Amino acid sequence: MAPVSDLRIAVICSSNMNRSMEAHAFLAKKGFLVQSYGTGDKVKIPGSAADKPNIYEFGVSYEEIYHDLLNKDKSLYPSNAAVIYTQNGLLHTLDRNRRIKSHPERFQETEEKFDILITCEERVYDQVVEFMDSKTPIDNSIVHVINIDIQDNLEEATIGAFLISDMCVMLAKAEDLDNDIEEVLHNFEEKCQRPILHSIVFN
Amino acid sequence: MDFSMNDISDQELVTQWLNNAAVARSSSEKLEYFHKLQEVLIRKSPNLLQKFLPNILNFTTDKNGDVKKALVGFIEELCKARESLLPKVMLSLHMLLCDESIAVQKRVIQALISIYRKTLGWLCKASVVTEEMENAWKQLSAIKLEIANMIDSDNDGVRTSSVKFLECVVLLQTYPDQAENNKPNDFSLDDVPLTLKIARRRKLEEEANTLFELLLKFHGSPHISSANLLTCLGVVTNIAKNRAEFMSRVVTAIESLYNNLPPTLSTTQVNSVRKKLKSELTGLIKHPAAYEFLDKLTPMLIDLGYSQQDVIKIVPKAEERRRYCK
Repeated sequence: MAPVSDLRIAVICSSNMNRSMEAHAFLAKKGFLVQSYGTGDKVKIPGSAADKPNIYEFGVSYEEIYHDLLNKDKSLYPSNAAVIYTQNGLLHTLDRNRRIKSHPERFQETEEKFDILITCEERVYDQVVEFMDSKTPIDNSIVHVINIDIQDNLEEATIGAFLISDMCVMLAKAEDLDNDIEEVLHNFEEKCQRPILHSIVFN
Repeated sequence: MDFSMNDISDQELVTQWLNNAAVARSSSEKLEYFHKLQEVLIRKSPNLLQKFLPNILNFTTDKNGDVKKALVGFIEELCKARESLLPKVMLSLHMLLCDESIAVQKRVIQALISIYRKTLGWLCKASVVTEEMENAWKQLSAIKLEIANMIDSDNDGVRTSSVKFLECVVLLQTYPDQAENNKPNDFSLDDVPLTLKIARRRKLEEEANTLFELLLKFHGSPHISSANLLTCLGVVTNIAKNRAEFMSRVVTAIESLYNNLPPTLSTTQVNSVRKKLKSELTGLIKHPAAYEFLDKLTPMLIDLGYSQQDVIKIVPKAEERRRYCK
């Protein structure tokens, strides 16, 4: 099926686990050309306590993380397997993720080029802009970096994916995005009632 | 000319694809042939380029914008691979720059950033400058002036690309600060031989100064769009960081912007611009040449969220500054 738009979109959060993957799934279903990434050094997901996150390298697959968590559940609750991670929805999230792609990807390591980079929190936006500015551009095409703050939990990730999708539909309708982007973002911001940030970098 | 068996078949293929592209019904089909042609002519059998280049350049007058954008990509790749063919493509580039499609115009300006650099470098290391090379440079100079004028285009994206092109010209046509600050691949006026008659150092430098002033004027224009301002702010600070002779003027321009943000910006745009200001000022204050402007830069950074201690931490130490001044 032909994509709904030529725009090459990347959705980026910290660990490429929850917010970016929820939006990735949503946009892909709608027919956008979309990829997702994380900007963190490692993939961090909630663990058995707030100060004990589960930490993985970016190359580790969703499948492996899924089984690792499943085993942790079993060892923590031998009589009642898969309690914690099932309860907090992580296994479900990982199950969804592994159907979309094999493993979390780090934005700073990709060679892919995009027209739009959507970030899910200000810190990630800063990292993306800083990284893009530090590279010597190759073809100098214009890239729009747009931030929408989304809290890192399952419910907010779902709402965030809806908002990102709405925004992408509006961006895709623009006849000349580089010329119309300010108006589109202004309209979107009025609609979504969340502050956004926008910057320009080059491929 | 001797052709191997492989070349002959590639030659036949190229002819066939050119014919197919000419009669292709859809633009996607035509693009497909075009990409095949590019692959063979630039990567696989570049010995066929000379022969078929005129056929490829015929696409300059194609009706389809996407095909013309692909042609610009072809020319860009060609210039990287075969400098000697630069004179052959200048006319096409000029025509494409004047295309009615904004997307094509933008693509040309973006490609010219690397092509301009490549051409100037090529002229500088040539042992003899032929008439053909001189004409190519003249044509490129005309293109450069047109792009400089495009900073006043009605289209935001064209203006953004024009600003980015001018950044490249200013950096190429000015002297670096110090040898130790030279980055690898950093071409500058030092690389232009004094014997190069068609591009004299003094003239190039004068032009860079004029273009820099044009950038500053654009940066300070009261109704500049947020997207243009973000780009221009990044461009002028990058110039200051690489060519300290511009530091004073850039600091003054930023100070003036800081005190008078364009009234047309929305709250969100003001937030984005202030964020950009913070990161650009942080980059500037780390530069040894910015030390004498500390009294101007510090209040802005403090207002943008830094503490006095934060500022002290990022300012280069005396030793670094001394090393820079040597």
